Amino acid sequence: MTAYLNVDGLDHYFGGLRALQECSFTIEQGRITCLVGPNGAGKTTIFNVITGFLKPDQGRVAFRGRSLDGLRPQSIVHAGIARTFQNLRLFTDLTALDNVLVGMSGQFGEEPLGAIFRPVHTARAQARRRAEAMQTLEHVGLANRARDLVRNLSYGEQKLLTVARVLATGAELLLLDEPASGLSAGALDAIMSLLRRLQSEGKTLLVVEHNTRVVQQIADEVLFLHQGHLMAQGTPGQIISDPALAEIYFGGAL
Amino acid sequence: MDFLFSYIVLAEIYVLLGLSTNLLVGIAGIFSVSQAAVFGVGAYLVAHFMMAADPLSFIPSLLIAAACCVALNILVTLPSLRVSGDYFVVTSFGIQLLATAVFTNWAEGTGGANGLPGIPPPDVFGWPIATTGQYVLLCTAFAGLGCIAFWLIMRAPFGRLVRAIREDETAVAAAGKNVLRAKVSAAALAGAFAGTAGGLYATFLSFIDPSSFDLDASILLLTMVVVGGARTLAGSIVGPFLLLALPQLLTLVEIPTTIAAAARQLIYGLLLIVFMLFRPQGLAGERL
Repeated sequence: MTAYLNVDGLDHYFGGLRALQECSFTIEQGRITCLVGPNGAGKTTIFNVITGFLKPDQGRVAFRGRSLDGLRPQSIVHAGIARTFQNLRLFTDLTALDNVLVGMSGQFGEEPLGAIFRPVHTARAQARRRAEAMQTLEHVGLANRARDLVRNLSYGEQKLLTVARVLATGAELLLLDEPASGLSAGALDAIMSLLRRLQSEGKTLLVVEHNTRVVQQIADEVLFLHQGHLMAQGTPGQIISDPALAEIYFGGAL
Repeated sequence: MDFLFSYIVLAEIYVLLGLSTNLLVGIAGIFSVSQAAVFGVGAYLVAHFMMAADPLSFIPSLLIAAACCVALNILVTLPSLRVSGDYFVVTSFGIQLLATAVFTNWAEGTGGANGLPGIPPPDVFGWPIATTGQYVLLCTAFAGLGCIAFWLIMRAPFGRLVRAIREDETAVAAAGKNVLRAKVSAAALAGAFAGTAGGLYATFLSFIDPSSFDLDASILLLTMVVVGGARTLAGSIVGPFLLLALPQLLTLVEIPTTIAAAARQLIYGLLLIVFMLFRPQGLAGERL
Protein backbone atom coordinates (compact mmCIF):
# COMPACT_ATOMS: atom_id res chain seq x y z
CA MET A 1 0.00 0.00 0.00
CA THR A 2 1.31 3.45 -0.86
CA ALA A 3 1.75 5.94 1.93
CA TYR A 4 -0.54 8.98 2.15
CA LEU A 5 2.41 11.38 2.12
CA ASN A 6 5.79 9.91 1.38
CA VAL A 7 8.89 12.04 1.86
CA ASP A 8 11.86 10.15 0.52
CA GLY A 9 15.57 10.93 0.88
CA LEU A 10 15.40 14.74 0.76
CA ASP A 11 18.65 16.63 0.59
CA HIS A 12 18.90 20.38 0.44
CA TYR A 13 21.81 22.76 0.71
CA PHE A 14 21.71 26.48 1.43
CA GLY A 15 25.18 27.34 0.16
CA GLY A 16 27.45 25.24 2.34
CA LEU A 17 24.79 24.47 4.93
CA ARG A 18 23.12 21.10 4.56
CA ALA A 19 19.62 21.94 5.73
CA LEU A 20 18.16 18.54 4.92
CA GLN A 21 20.10 15.27 5.01
CA GLU A 22 18.49 12.19 3.52
CA CYS A 23 15.31 13.10 5.27
CA SER A 24 12.60 10.47 4.90
CA PHE A 25 9.26 9.85 6.60
CA THR A 26 5.68 8.97 5.86
CA ILE A 27 2.42 10.36 7.15
CA GLU A 28 -0.82 8.47 7.59
CA GLN A 29 -4.16 9.82 6.53
CA GLY A 30 -6.46 11.25 9.17
CA ARG A 31 -3.83 11.76 11.85
CA ILE A 32 -2.21 14.76 13.45
CA THR A 33 1.53 14.46 13.06
CA CYS A 34 3.76 16.93 14.88
CA LEU A 35 7.15 17.85 13.50
CA VAL A 36 9.47 18.82 16.35
CA GLY A 37 13.15 19.53 16.73
CA PRO A 38 15.52 22.30 17.76
CA ASN A 39 15.82 25.55 15.82
CA GLY A 40 17.52 24.98 12.48
CA ALA A 41 16.52 21.33 12.37
CA GLY A 42 14.94 21.86 8.94
CA LYS A 43 11.24 21.87 9.85
CA THR A 44 10.25 24.87 7.76
CA THR A 45 12.57 23.73 4.95
CA ILE A 46 10.60 20.46 4.83
CA PHE A 47 7.40 22.48 4.51
CA ASN A 48 8.89 24.57 1.72
CA VAL A 49 9.93 21.45 -0.19
CA ILE A 50 6.59 19.64 0.21
CA THR A 51 4.63 22.72 -0.93
CA GLY A 52 6.86 23.43 -3.93
CA PHE A 53 8.47 26.67 -2.73
CA LEU A 54 11.89 24.99 -2.69
CA LYS A 55 13.26 22.44 -5.12
CA PRO A 56 15.23 19.83 -3.18
CA ASP A 57 18.71 18.96 -4.41
CA GLN A 58 17.86 15.28 -3.98
CA GLY A 59 14.91 13.14 -3.09
CA ARG A 60 11.21 13.14 -3.80
CA VAL A 61 7.82 13.75 -2.31
CA ALA A 62 4.72 11.76 -3.25
CA PHE A 63 1.14 12.42 -2.18
CA ARG A 64 -1.42 9.60 -2.50
CA GLY A 65 1.12 7.79 -4.68
CA ARG A 66 1.46 10.73 -7.06
CA SER A 67 4.85 12.42 -7.39
CA LEU A 68 4.92 16.15 -6.62
CA ASP A 69 8.30 16.63 -8.32
CA GLY A 70 8.55 19.86 -10.28
CA LEU A 71 5.02 21.00 -9.48
CA ARG A 72 4.56 24.70 -8.76
CA PRO A 73 3.09 25.77 -5.41
CA GLN A 74 -0.36 26.48 -6.84
CA SER A 75 -0.51 23.03 -8.47
CA ILE A 76 0.37 21.39 -5.17
CA VAL A 77 -2.52 23.23 -3.52
CA HIS A 78 -4.81 21.84 -6.21
CA ALA A 79 -3.37 18.38 -5.58
CA GLY A 80 -4.66 18.73 -2.00
CA ILE A 81 -1.86 20.11 0.19
CA ALA A 82 -1.99 23.62 1.65
CA ARG A 83 0.16 25.39 4.21
CA THR A 84 0.33 28.26 6.64
CA PHE A 85 3.39 30.37 7.37
CA GLN A 86 5.17 30.93 10.64
CA ASN A 87 5.02 34.70 10.00
CA LEU A 88 1.33 34.40 8.93
CA ARG A 89 1.62 36.27 5.60
CA LEU A 90 -1.99 37.44 5.73
CA PHE A 91 -3.20 40.21 3.41
CA THR A 92 -3.38 42.86 6.10
CA ASP A 93 -5.07 45.54 3.94
CA LEU A 94 -7.93 43.18 3.07
CA THR A 95 -10.81 42.10 5.29
CA ALA A 96 -10.84 38.74 7.04
CA LEU A 97 -13.54 37.59 4.62
CA ASP A 98 -11.47 38.62 1.58
CA ASN A 99 -8.46 36.74 2.95
CA VAL A 100 -10.55 33.58 3.01
CA LEU A 101 -11.99 34.31 -0.44
CA VAL A 102 -8.51 34.62 -1.97
CA GLY A 103 -7.92 31.03 -0.88
CA MET A 104 -11.06 29.63 -2.50
CA SER A 105 -10.47 27.87 -5.79
CA GLY A 106 -12.31 28.02 -9.10
CA GLN A 107 -13.99 31.41 -8.80
CA PHE A 108 -15.72 32.96 -11.78
CA GLY A 109 -14.47 36.49 -12.36
CA GLU A 110 -10.86 35.81 -11.46
CA GLU A 111 -10.17 36.49 -15.13
CA PRO A 112 -10.79 40.15 -16.01
CA LEU A 113 -12.66 39.41 -19.26
CA GLY A 114 -15.18 37.23 -17.47
CA ALA A 115 -15.66 39.95 -14.87
CA ILE A 116 -16.20 42.64 -17.53
CA PHE A 117 -18.44 40.78 -19.98
CA ARG A 118 -20.47 38.66 -17.57
CA PRO A 119 -20.95 40.99 -14.59
CA VAL A 120 -24.24 39.51 -13.42
CA HIS A 121 -22.90 35.98 -13.44
CA THR A 122 -19.79 37.19 -11.60
CA ALA A 123 -21.86 38.93 -8.93
CA ARG A 124 -24.07 35.87 -8.38
CA ALA A 125 -21.09 33.53 -8.17
CA GLN A 126 -19.47 35.96 -5.73
CA ALA A 127 -22.53 36.00 -3.48
CA ARG A 128 -22.42 32.21 -3.20
CA ARG A 129 -18.70 32.25 -2.50
CA ARG A 130 -19.12 34.88 0.20
CA ALA A 131 -21.66 32.67 1.95
CA GLU A 132 -19.23 29.76 1.82
CA ALA A 133 -16.39 31.93 3.09
CA MET A 134 -18.59 33.10 5.97
CA GLN A 135 -19.15 29.47 6.94
CA THR A 136 -15.41 28.89 6.97
CA LEU A 137 -14.95 31.93 9.21
CA GLU A 138 -17.70 30.69 11.52
CA HIS A 139 -15.96 27.35 11.63
CA VAL A 140 -12.81 28.89 13.09
CA GLY A 141 -14.80 31.30 15.27
CA LEU A 142 -14.15 34.54 13.39
CA ALA A 143 -17.58 35.23 11.89
CA ASN A 144 -17.92 38.42 13.92
CA ARG A 145 -14.68 39.81 12.44
CA ALA A 146 -15.51 39.07 8.78
CA ARG A 147 -15.71 42.72 7.70
CA ASP A 148 -12.72 43.90 9.70
CA LEU A 149 -9.37 44.60 8.13
CA VAL A 150 -6.84 42.00 9.12
CA ARG A 151 -4.45 44.54 10.58
CA ASN A 152 -7.09 45.32 13.22
CA LEU A 153 -7.36 41.69 14.32
CA SER A 154 -5.57 40.40 17.42
CA TYR A 155 -2.62 38.04 16.94
CA GLY A 156 -4.69 35.08 18.08
CA GLU A 157 -7.45 35.97 15.61
CA GLN A 158 -4.87 36.31 12.83
CA LYS A 159 -3.58 32.81 13.60
CA LEU A 160 -7.10 31.42 13.35
CA LEU A 161 -7.53 33.27 10.07
CA THR A 162 -4.45 31.56 8.58
CA VAL A 163 -6.17 28.25 9.30
CA ALA A 164 -9.39 29.54 7.69
CA ARG A 165 -7.42 30.49 4.59
CA VAL A 166 -5.93 27.01 4.14
CA LEU A 167 -9.34 25.46 4.78
CA ALA A 168 -10.77 27.63 2.00
CA THR A 169 -8.45 25.99 -0.53
CA GLY A 170 -10.28 22.71 0.05
CA ALA A 171 -6.98 20.90 0.68
CA GLU A 172 -7.15 17.68 2.69
CA LEU A 173 -3.60 17.70 4.02
CA LEU A 174 -2.85 20.85 6.01
CA LEU A 175 0.69 21.88 6.88
CA LEU A 176 0.59 24.29 9.80
CA ASP A 177 3.77 26.13 10.77
CA GLU A 178 3.68 26.86 14.50
CA PRO A 179 -0.05 27.55 14.79
CA ALA A 180 0.16 27.83 18.58
CA SER A 181 3.29 29.93 19.10
CA GLY A 182 2.93 33.26 20.82
CA LEU A 183 -0.67 32.68 21.88
CA SER A 184 -2.32 33.39 25.22
CA ALA A 185 -3.76 30.45 27.16
CA GLY A 186 -7.29 31.15 25.90
CA ALA A 187 -6.26 31.45 22.27
CA LEU A 188 -4.15 28.31 22.66
CA ASP A 189 -7.17 26.29 23.77
CA ALA A 190 -9.19 27.69 20.86
CA ILE A 191 -6.62 26.63 18.29
CA MET A 192 -6.07 23.18 19.81
CA SER A 193 -9.78 22.41 19.84
CA LEU A 194 -9.98 23.68 16.25
CA LEU A 195 -7.20 21.30 15.16
CA ARG A 196 -8.97 18.39 16.85
CA ARG A 197 -12.20 19.34 15.13
CA LEU A 198 -10.50 19.47 11.73
CA GLN A 199 -9.13 16.00 12.32
CA SER A 200 -12.58 14.66 13.18
CA GLU A 201 -13.82 16.15 9.91
CA GLY A 202 -11.33 14.08 7.94
CA LYS A 203 -8.40 16.45 7.51
CA THR A 204 -4.84 15.24 7.92
CA LEU A 205 -2.50 17.61 9.72
CA LEU A 206 1.25 18.02 9.76
CA VAL A 207 2.11 20.57 12.42
CA VAL A 208 5.40 22.21 13.34
CA GLU A 209 5.22 22.87 17.05
CA HIS A 210 7.63 23.84 19.81
CA ASN A 211 5.30 23.74 22.79
CA THR A 212 5.57 20.24 24.27
CA ARG A 213 2.26 20.64 26.09
CA VAL A 214 0.52 21.28 22.77
CA VAL A 215 2.33 18.35 21.16
CA GLN A 216 1.26 16.03 23.95
CA GLN A 217 -2.34 17.12 23.66
CA ILE A 218 -2.85 17.02 19.92
CA ALA A 219 -0.30 14.70 18.31
CA ASP A 220 -1.05 11.12 17.30
CA GLU A 221 2.49 10.80 16.01
CA VAL A 222 5.65 12.83 16.52
CA LEU A 223 8.54 13.18 14.08
CA PHE A 224 11.76 14.36 15.70
CA LEU A 225 14.01 16.20 13.30
CA HIS A 226 17.64 16.99 14.04
CA GLN A 227 20.15 18.56 11.64
CA GLY A 228 17.91 17.95 8.69
CA HIS A 229 17.47 14.27 9.41
CA LEU A 230 14.62 12.26 10.93
CA MET A 231 16.07 11.15 14.25
CA ALA A 232 13.08 9.48 15.86
CA GLN A 233 9.43 8.75 15.29
CA GLY A 234 6.83 7.69 17.82
CA THR A 235 3.96 8.65 20.07
CA PRO A 236 4.30 11.91 22.01
CA GLY A 237 4.94 9.89 25.20
CA GLN A 238 7.79 7.94 23.62
CA ILE A 239 9.48 11.01 22.17
CA ILE A 240 9.17 13.23 25.22
CA SER A 241 10.37 10.54 27.64
CA ASP A 242 13.48 9.77 25.58
CA PRO A 243 16.39 11.36 27.49
CA ALA A 244 18.67 11.50 24.43
CA LEU A 245 16.11 13.55 22.49
CA ALA A 246 15.46 15.81 25.48
CA GLU A 247 19.18 16.46 25.61
CA ILE A 248 19.19 17.57 21.97
CA TYR A 249 16.01 19.54 22.30
CA PHE A 250 16.65 21.35 25.55
CA GLY A 251 20.30 20.73 26.44
CA GLY A 252 21.78 20.90 22.97
CA ALA A 253 20.69 24.45 22.53
CA LEU A 254 22.27 25.59 25.79
CA MET B 1 -16.87 76.88 -24.94
CA ASP B 2 -14.26 75.14 -27.09
CA PHE B 3 -11.74 75.90 -24.39
CA LEU B 4 -13.79 74.01 -21.80
CA PHE B 5 -14.51 71.19 -24.25
CA SER B 6 -10.82 70.63 -25.07
CA TYR B 7 -10.07 70.50 -21.38
CA ILE B 8 -12.76 67.85 -20.88
CA VAL B 9 -11.54 65.80 -23.85
CA LEU B 10 -7.94 65.83 -22.65
CA ALA B 11 -8.96 65.10 -19.06
CA GLU B 12 -11.02 62.13 -20.21
CA ILE B 13 -8.12 60.78 -22.24
CA TYR B 14 -5.99 61.09 -19.13
CA VAL B 15 -8.69 59.33 -17.10
CA LEU B 16 -8.07 56.27 -19.29
CA LEU B 17 -4.34 56.67 -18.64
CA GLY B 18 -5.02 57.15 -14.94
CA LEU B 19 -7.00 53.89 -14.89
CA SER B 20 -4.14 52.18 -16.70
CA THR B 21 -1.51 53.47 -14.27
CA ASN B 22 -3.68 52.85 -11.23
CA LEU B 23 -4.31 49.26 -12.27
CA LEU B 24 -0.64 48.52 -12.76
CA VAL B 25 1.02 50.63 -10.05
CA GLY B 26 -1.72 51.21 -7.48
CA ILE B 27 -3.47 47.87 -7.51
CA ALA B 28 -1.08 45.23 -8.81
CA GLY B 29 1.97 46.97 -7.28
CA ILE B 30 3.97 46.80 -10.53
CA PHE B 31 5.78 50.12 -10.26
CA SER B 32 6.01 51.13 -13.89
CA VAL B 33 7.39 54.51 -14.98
CA SER B 34 6.94 53.69 -18.68
CA GLN B 35 3.18 54.03 -19.14
CA ALA B 36 3.65 57.11 -21.32
CA ALA B 37 5.71 55.00 -23.73
CA VAL B 38 2.78 52.62 -24.20
CA PHE B 39 0.46 55.63 -24.58
CA GLY B 40 2.81 56.92 -27.30
CA VAL B 41 2.92 53.63 -29.17
CA GLY B 42 -0.90 53.65 -29.24
CA ALA B 43 -0.90 57.22 -30.58
CA TYR B 44 1.73 56.60 -33.27
CA LEU B 45 0.11 53.33 -34.39
CA VAL B 46 -3.34 54.88 -34.83
CA ALA B 47 -1.76 57.78 -36.72
CA HIS B 48 0.17 55.33 -38.87
CA PHE B 49 -2.86 53.22 -39.82
CA MET B 50 -5.06 56.24 -40.53
CA MET B 51 -2.39 57.98 -42.63
CA ALA B 52 -1.26 54.90 -44.58
CA ALA B 53 -1.41 54.86 -48.38
CA ASP B 54 -4.35 52.52 -47.96
CA PRO B 55 -5.82 54.05 -44.79
CA LEU B 56 -7.88 52.23 -42.20
CA SER B 57 -10.77 53.99 -40.52
CA PHE B 58 -10.61 55.02 -36.88
CA ILE B 59 -12.21 52.10 -35.01
CA PRO B 60 -10.18 49.33 -36.72
CA SER B 61 -7.00 51.40 -36.25
CA LEU B 62 -7.81 51.84 -32.58
CA LEU B 63 -8.53 48.14 -32.11
CA ILE B 64 -5.26 47.07 -33.74
CA ALA B 65 -3.29 49.71 -31.80
CA ALA B 66 -4.91 48.63 -28.50
CA ALA B 67 -4.10 44.99 -29.25
CA CYS B 68 -0.47 45.92 -29.98
CA CYS B 69 -0.30 47.88 -26.72
CA VAL B 70 -1.67 44.87 -24.82
CA ALA B 71 1.17 42.76 -26.20
CA LEU B 72 3.72 45.53 -25.64
CA ASN B 73 2.67 46.17 -22.05
CA ILE B 74 2.85 42.47 -21.23
CA LEU B 75 6.33 42.44 -22.73
CA VAL B 76 7.59 45.48 -20.80
CA THR B 77 5.98 44.24 -17.58
CA LEU B 78 7.51 40.78 -17.85
CA PRO B 79 10.74 41.85 -16.09
CA SER B 80 8.60 42.65 -13.01
CA LEU B 81 7.80 38.96 -12.77
CA ARG B 82 11.50 38.23 -12.37
CA VAL B 83 12.91 41.26 -10.62
CA SER B 84 11.02 42.79 -7.76
CA GLY B 85 10.21 46.28 -6.54
CA ASP B 86 13.08 48.70 -6.76
CA TYR B 87 14.85 46.83 -9.54
CA PHE B 88 11.81 46.91 -11.75
CA VAL B 89 11.58 50.71 -11.45
CA VAL B 90 15.05 50.94 -12.94
CA THR B 91 14.17 48.48 -15.73
CA SER B 92 11.01 50.39 -16.48
CA PHE B 93 12.92 53.67 -16.49
CA GLY B 94 15.19 52.17 -19.15
CA ILE B 95 12.21 51.10 -21.24
CA GLN B 96 10.83 54.65 -21.12
CA LEU B 97 14.15 56.16 -22.23
CA LEU B 98 14.42 53.60 -25.01
CA ALA B 99 10.92 54.46 -26.25
CA THR B 100 11.67 58.20 -26.20
CA ALA B 101 14.85 57.56 -28.20
CA VAL B 102 12.87 55.64 -30.83
CA PHE B 103 10.08 58.25 -31.01
CA THR B 104 12.67 61.02 -31.42
CA ASN B 105 15.07 59.39 -33.85
CA TRP B 106 13.04 57.11 -36.08
CA ALA B 107 12.17 59.90 -38.53
CA GLU B 108 10.42 57.77 -41.19
CA GLY B 109 8.13 56.14 -38.65
CA THR B 110 7.35 58.87 -36.17
CA GLY B 111 8.43 62.10 -37.83
CA GLY B 112 11.21 62.30 -35.25
CA ALA B 113 11.51 65.31 -33.00
CA ASN B 114 9.48 67.41 -35.48
CA GLY B 115 6.47 65.26 -34.79
CA LEU B 116 3.74 63.87 -36.98
CA PRO B 117 1.26 66.45 -38.34
CA GLY B 118 -1.95 65.97 -40.28
CA ILE B 119 -3.52 63.04 -38.46
CA PRO B 120 -7.09 62.87 -39.81
CA PRO B 121 -10.07 63.24 -37.47
CA PRO B 122 -11.83 60.04 -36.47
CA ASP B 123 -15.14 58.66 -37.59
CA VAL B 124 -17.28 56.14 -35.79
CA PHE B 125 -18.74 53.70 -38.32
CA GLY B 126 -19.07 56.42 -40.92
CA TRP B 127 -20.22 59.10 -38.49
CA PRO B 128 -17.53 61.82 -38.62
CA ILE B 129 -16.20 63.42 -35.47
CA ALA B 130 -15.41 66.98 -36.49
CA THR B 131 -16.41 69.46 -33.78
CA THR B 132 -14.95 69.59 -30.29
CA GLY B 133 -18.42 68.87 -28.96
CA GLN B 134 -18.48 65.59 -30.84
CA TYR B 135 -15.04 64.77 -29.44
CA VAL B 136 -16.44 65.26 -25.97
CA LEU B 137 -19.13 62.67 -26.72
CA LEU B 138 -16.59 60.23 -28.17
CA CYS B 139 -14.14 60.57 -25.30
CA THR B 140 -16.89 60.46 -22.70
CA ALA B 141 -18.05 57.19 -24.22
CA PHE B 142 -14.56 55.66 -24.12
CA ALA B 143 -13.71 57.00 -20.66
CA GLY B 144 -17.13 55.84 -19.43
CA LEU B 145 -16.57 52.33 -20.77
CA GLY B 146 -13.11 52.32 -19.21
CA CYS B 147 -14.50 53.34 -15.84
CA ILE B 148 -17.23 50.69 -15.98
CA ALA B 149 -14.69 48.02 -16.88
CA PHE B 150 -12.40 49.16 -14.05
CA TRP B 151 -15.28 49.16 -11.58
CA LEU B 152 -16.42 45.69 -12.65
CA ILE B 153 -13.00 44.06 -12.33
CA MET B 154 -12.26 45.76 -9.03
CA ARG B 155 -15.36 44.35 -7.40
CA ALA B 156 -14.82 40.91 -8.97
CA PRO B 157 -12.50 38.22 -7.62
CA PHE B 158 -9.83 39.48 -10.03
CA GLY B 159 -9.64 42.79 -8.17
CA ARG B 160 -9.21 41.02 -4.86
CA LEU B 161 -6.57 38.73 -6.32
CA VAL B 162 -4.36 41.55 -7.66
CA ARG B 163 -4.71 43.48 -4.40
CA ALA B 164 -3.55 40.36 -2.57
CA ILE B 165 -0.63 40.01 -4.99
CA ARG B 166 0.49 43.55 -4.23
CA GLU B 167 0.66 42.61 -0.57
CA ASP B 168 2.25 39.18 -0.71
CA GLU B 169 2.88 37.11 -3.82
CA THR B 170 4.14 34.11 -1.88
CA ALA B 171 0.95 33.92 0.14
CA VAL B 172 -1.13 34.15 -3.04
CA ALA B 173 0.78 31.21 -4.55
CA ALA B 174 0.32 29.30 -1.28
CA ALA B 175 -3.42 29.94 -1.60
CA GLY B 176 -3.32 28.05 -4.89
CA LYS B 177 -3.48 31.00 -7.27
CA ASN B 178 -1.51 31.64 -10.43
CA VAL B 179 0.35 34.89 -9.68
CA LEU B 180 1.92 35.09 -13.12
CA ARG B 181 -1.38 34.89 -14.97
CA ALA B 182 -3.00 37.57 -12.81
CA LYS B 183 -0.08 39.96 -13.30
CA VAL B 184 -0.08 39.40 -17.05
CA SER B 185 -3.84 40.10 -17.10
CA ALA B 186 -3.35 43.35 -15.20
CA ALA B 187 -0.59 44.39 -17.61
CA ALA B 188 -2.77 43.52 -20.61
CA LEU B 189 -5.68 45.61 -19.36
CA ALA B 190 -3.40 48.52 -18.54
CA GLY B 191 -1.98 48.24 -22.08
CA ALA B 192 -5.44 48.28 -23.65
CA PHE B 193 -6.40 51.41 -21.69
CA ALA B 194 -3.15 53.23 -22.54
CA GLY B 195 -3.32 52.28 -26.22
CA THR B 196 -6.91 53.47 -26.55
CA ALA B 197 -5.99 56.74 -24.86
CA GLY B 198 -3.13 57.12 -27.36
CA GLY B 199 -5.44 56.73 -30.35
CA LEU B 200 -7.93 59.27 -29.01
CA TYR B 201 -5.12 61.70 -28.23
CA ALA B 202 -3.51 61.49 -31.69
CA THR B 203 -6.75 62.05 -33.59
CA PHE B 204 -7.94 64.81 -31.28
CA LEU B 205 -4.76 66.89 -31.54
CA SER B 206 -4.06 65.84 -35.17
CA PHE B 207 -0.39 66.38 -34.30
CA ILE B 208 1.82 64.31 -32.01
CA ASP B 209 5.47 64.59 -31.05
CA PRO B 210 7.74 62.73 -28.61
CA SER B 211 7.35 65.34 -25.84
CA SER B 212 3.86 64.01 -25.02
CA PHE B 213 5.18 60.52 -24.37
CA ASP B 214 8.43 61.10 -22.48
CA LEU B 215 9.50 60.44 -18.91
CA ASP B 216 7.85 63.68 -17.74
CA ALA B 217 4.56 62.35 -19.09
CA SER B 218 5.01 59.06 -17.24
CA ILE B 219 5.71 60.94 -14.04
CA LEU B 220 2.67 63.14 -14.63
CA LEU B 221 0.57 59.95 -14.77
CA LEU B 222 2.04 58.78 -11.48
CA THR B 223 1.36 62.21 -9.99
CA MET B 224 -2.26 61.97 -11.11
CA VAL B 225 -2.63 58.62 -9.36
CA VAL B 226 -0.94 59.90 -6.21
CA VAL B 227 -2.95 63.13 -6.06
CA GLY B 228 -6.24 61.52 -7.09
CA GLY B 229 -5.76 58.46 -4.95
CA ALA B 230 -4.47 54.96 -5.53
CA ARG B 231 -6.68 51.92 -6.12
CA THR B 232 -10.02 53.67 -6.48
CA LEU B 233 -12.12 54.62 -9.47
CA ALA B 234 -12.78 58.09 -8.04
CA GLY B 235 -9.05 58.66 -7.62
CA SER B 236 -8.40 57.81 -11.26
CA ILE B 237 -10.97 60.41 -12.32
CA VAL B 238 -10.19 63.20 -9.85
CA GLY B 239 -6.43 63.17 -10.47
CA PRO B 240 -6.46 63.86 -14.24
CA PHE B 241 -9.22 66.47 -14.04
CA LEU B 242 -7.43 68.33 -11.29
CA LEU B 243 -3.90 68.20 -12.69
CA LEU B 244 -4.95 69.15 -16.21
CA ALA B 245 -6.89 72.12 -14.85
CA LEU B 246 -3.62 73.50 -13.56
CA PRO B 247 -2.10 74.63 -16.90
CA GLN B 248 -5.47 76.16 -17.83
CA LEU B 249 -5.51 78.08 -14.58
CA LEU B 250 -1.95 79.25 -15.16
CA THR B 251 -3.01 80.77 -18.47
CA LEU B 252 -5.39 83.00 -16.51
CA VAL B 253 -2.48 84.33 -14.48
CA GLU B 254 -0.42 87.03 -16.18
CA ILE B 255 2.93 85.27 -16.53
CA PRO B 256 5.17 84.99 -19.58
CA THR B 257 4.66 81.74 -21.54
CA THR B 258 8.32 80.83 -21.15
CA ILE B 259 7.88 80.66 -17.40
CA ALA B 260 4.46 79.00 -17.54
CA ALA B 261 5.83 75.60 -18.61
CA ALA B 262 8.47 75.64 -15.89
CA ALA B 263 5.94 76.82 -13.32
CA ARG B 264 3.67 73.92 -14.23
CA GLN B 265 6.46 71.36 -13.76
CA LEU B 266 7.36 73.01 -10.48
CA ILE B 267 3.81 72.76 -9.19
CA TYR B 268 3.45 69.13 -10.33
CA GLY B 269 6.67 68.28 -8.49
CA LEU B 270 5.56 70.07 -5.35
CA LEU B 271 2.16 68.35 -5.42
CA LEU B 272 3.85 64.95 -5.71
CA ILE B 273 6.09 65.63 -2.70
CA VAL B 274 3.37 67.20 -0.56
CA PHE B 275 0.91 64.40 -1.19
CA MET B 276 3.45 61.63 -0.58
CA LEU B 277 4.41 63.25 2.70
CA PHE B 278 1.08 64.41 4.07
CA ARG B 279 -1.66 62.57 2.26
CA PRO B 280 -0.35 59.33 0.68
CA GLN B 281 -3.90 58.12 0.10
CA GLY B 282 -4.53 61.07 -2.24
CA LEU B 283 -7.81 62.93 -2.39
CA ALA B 284 -10.02 59.90 -2.94
CA GLY B 285 -7.97 56.77 -2.62
CA GLU B 286 -5.94 54.46 -0.47
CA ARG B 287 -2.34 54.57 0.63
CA LEU B 288 -0.02 53.79 -2.30
